[in-house]
Amino acid sequence: MYRWDFLPVLANADLLLQGLVNTLAVTGTALAFGIPLGLALALARLSGRRWLAWPAGFVIEFFRTTPPLVQLFWFFFALPVLIRVEMTPFMAAALTFSIQSAAFFAEVFRGGIVSIERGQWEAARALGMTPPQSMRRIILPQAVKRMIPAFMERAIELMKTTTLVATVSYADLLFQANEIAQKTFRPLEVFTVAAGIYFTVILLFSLMARQLERRLAVSGESTVH
Amino acid sequence: MNYQWNFAAVFEHTDALLHGAVGTLRLFAICLVLGLSLGLVIGLARYARHRLLNWPATAFVEFFRNTPVLVQILWFYFALPMLVPFEISPLMAAALGISLNSAAFSAEIYRGGIQSIEPGQWEASRALGMTGLQAMRRIILPQAIRRMLPALTNRAIEIFKMSTLASAVAYVELLQQGKLIASLNFNPIETYSVIALVFFVFLFPLVRATYALERRLAKGD
Repeated sequence: MYRWDFLPVLANADLLLQGLVNTLAVTGTALAFGIPLGLALALARLSGRRWLAWPAGFVIEFFRTTPPLVQLFWFFFALPVLIRVEMTPFMAAALTFSIQSAAFFAEVFRGGIVSIERGQWEAARALGMTPPQSMRRIILPQAVKRMIPAFMERAIELMKTTTLVATVSYADLLFQANEIAQKTFRPLEVFTVAAGIYFTVILLFSLMARQLERRLAVSGESTVH
Repeated sequence: MNYQWNFAAVFEHTDALLHGAVGTLRLFAICLVLGLSLGLVIGLARYARHRLLNWPATAFVEFFRNTPVLVQILWFYFALPMLVPFEISPLMAAALGISLNSAAFSAEIYRGGIQSIEPGQWEASRALGMTGLQAMRRIILPQAIRRMLPALTNRAIEIFKMSTLASAVAYVELLQQGKLIASLNFNPIETYSVIALVFFVFLFPLVRATYALERRLAKGD
């Protein structure tokens, strides 16, 4: 019978905590860049101009259909050779996950924008607004409210995807756990605790998302059923 | 920006890439079958009224949906061997992690699909003298599966993408072979570009098919 011993894990709690902070840092950075980029991609795809819509569509589809780990390796190992810059694991991760999540956010934005009734466009035009004005003042504010649940879901997915940075030696929670496991020879306890931390943090976000979703569903403004 | 692209070195290793592709497909097939069938069992258990069935299924789904799949794979590879008396191969660890994760996600798809069937269908089957299980098998599931098809193909695509994570435990699949080729020939650009393209070319038709399926079902309902 295996004897569990969590003391070596506790002794390295500060490393795990640092890892969690780094995980949140990558997630936050990717969100900060991914959401605006996703909006830009969605607007380009919906613009009706082929030279804008087509490249945007390609970026969205490409990053949605290739595995994120392949993308990360490409940005970490291949891109520095191509443009001769020093790429840190954090930069590669931030770049990969910003673009990757932007591709998914773009589809969320697009779904939200398309779900707004045509009458809203017509009314905005009747009031003398140009299309960009109606998009900014009338359509987007309503669409964003409907998209919130899908957004939260994507953000949670993103946080889970960031564990991949451990494979390029960025000191996120999973990487730290691996290090501690090798140092203390206690992989069972260390990986169990790491999984527990991920579970707790992500479940917390999931519950918040569900709460918000229910609130929005009551006011009938959600696109998620 | 004047890098000399040279794909010849990648294609010299076509046999290695094919070997990797076989590994990817094997892992994909195992996880698809295990994940989707286990997901059905768990989805049904979650739907059951009995607490003894319902509660563990819910815990399973919540746990596997709310932890990263890479953490699960590494747990099965590094931590589980401490508890069981036998070796865990990279394939086993990856298959366990990805299958259980997909089971949790597909369980939710099955549950949603079953719940979307109108109560009248249940009542009609009962009126015809069917038991609950019979009604589920003969009446409810066949209708529900049709509605769930786009979500299930999406899951299959996700599983295919997830199979690359097995490279973290050195299972021989496409990305793992790519890593080897890139470090052997110092040509990460060409190698990883080819790997990305292979995945894109393989998965994009599936994605388009899912879109088409969604549109057709939206019209049919």
